[in-house]
Amino acid sequence: MTHRIANLAELRNPEGWAAVRRELGVSAFGINTWTAAEDGAAIIAEHAETQSGQEELYLVLEGHATFTVDGEEVDAPLGTLLHVADPALRRGAIGTAGTTILVVGGKPGEPYEITGWEANADVFPLFKRGEFSQAKELLEAALAQYPGQAGVLYNLACAEARLDEPAAALAHLSQAVELSPPFAGYAQGDEDLASIRDDPGFPAAPEGING
Amino acid sequence: MKAWSVTSLEELDRIPVAEGLEWRPIRRRFGIRSFGINAYTSSHVGGWVVEEHDEAGGHEEIYLVVSGRATFTLDGEEVDAPAGTAVFLPEGSVKRKAIAEEEGTTVLAIGAWPDKAFVPSAWEWVFEAYAATPEQGIAILGEGRDELGDEPAFDYHLACLEAKLGRLDEGRAHLARAIEARPKWQARADADADLAPLR
Repeated sequence: MTHRIANLAELRNPEGWAAVRRELGVSAFGINTWTAAEDGAAIIAEHAETQSGQEELYLVLEGHATFTVDGEEVDAPLGTLLHVADPALRRGAIGTAGTTILVVGGKPGEPYEITGWEANADVFPLFKRGEFSQAKELLEAALAQYPGQAGVLYNLACAEARLDEPAAALAHLSQAVELSPPFAGYAQGDEDLASIRDDPGFPAAPEGING
Repeated sequence: MKAWSVTSLEELDRIPVAEGLEWRPIRRRFGIRSFGINAYTSSHVGGWVVEEHDEAGGHEEIYLVVSGRATFTLDGEEVDAPAGTAVFLPEGSVKRKAIAEEEGTTVLAIGAWPDKAFVPSAWEWVFEAYAATPEQGIAILGEGRDELGDEPAFDYHLACLEAKLGRLDEGRAHLARAIEARPKWQARADADADLAPLR
């Protein structure tokens, strides 16, 4: 096919995510939009790109957002462009209802690599609805396609912990932490992991983080 | 490069190119190194918001209509594209252009190769060079060469600007280098009015 055309609003799922890269088959860079369902809602969940090593560009396509970058708040009306070059910086955004942010990402010096993170975005609504078996199935499929993705392993551990499968949950959590140590910190307060938190095999909090 | 920085579409430079097309550089503004990204507006309704071109170099490109309304022409097929439309062209061979149908139409173009690391393209410096005086343009092309190394496009366009300034020997030397690297550009050079003084 020589071209594919879509309207962003039509690509948007009920969670406000338009998986532009995946839906259109883009393979040279990451591209997605996220939309706030209500005033003050998180649009870009706070995160770093340490594992991916990506630089990211954000554009406010609709509405009015507030970014937080490395602890600093940035007022971002319609048309604001934010470039985060340093993958280690934590960044996130909230906005008014309907605010839509375009995100484009890639890793300097390397061809773009499609990873399994999109599966993580797919499973959040499943977790919200308590559909842990479906989440597990989806994450296992993502892991088979893109092995070694810390975020996918972490979420798989969460699903397994919710499904009362402690051995599998601890094994996947341990792999996630080995690949990306900050996950040990997130694990300390994550309700999804409550059923395995008292196990001796549960990862210890990194220095400076109290569970 | 800053760890992070912020601007807005409105504050971007506005560099006139051709047929009303205004290049609004984003990649260069931020020093982005992993994909090409720029916005385009037009000086008038009916003007270009995507210049007619192909991506024979193999870039995948996605065009996103950020505001207004555009009509794309893709290998001769017209596509109505209101704000919010994403047009993805995985094949570089497709001849594409777009015109603004409304005041304030802005199109974002994002591109990179699917199988190799991104490097900026010479056209960024070429566009800027033609928006300046010939003397400034020559300096701008020199900056491009400093950043990207020897690109035949720089030689070709140096020849054009030198020809305009009557620097005929330098122009002929640059044109010869360009044609040696890209023999198929001979026909283009033969038809290029900028190069007439060199003939």
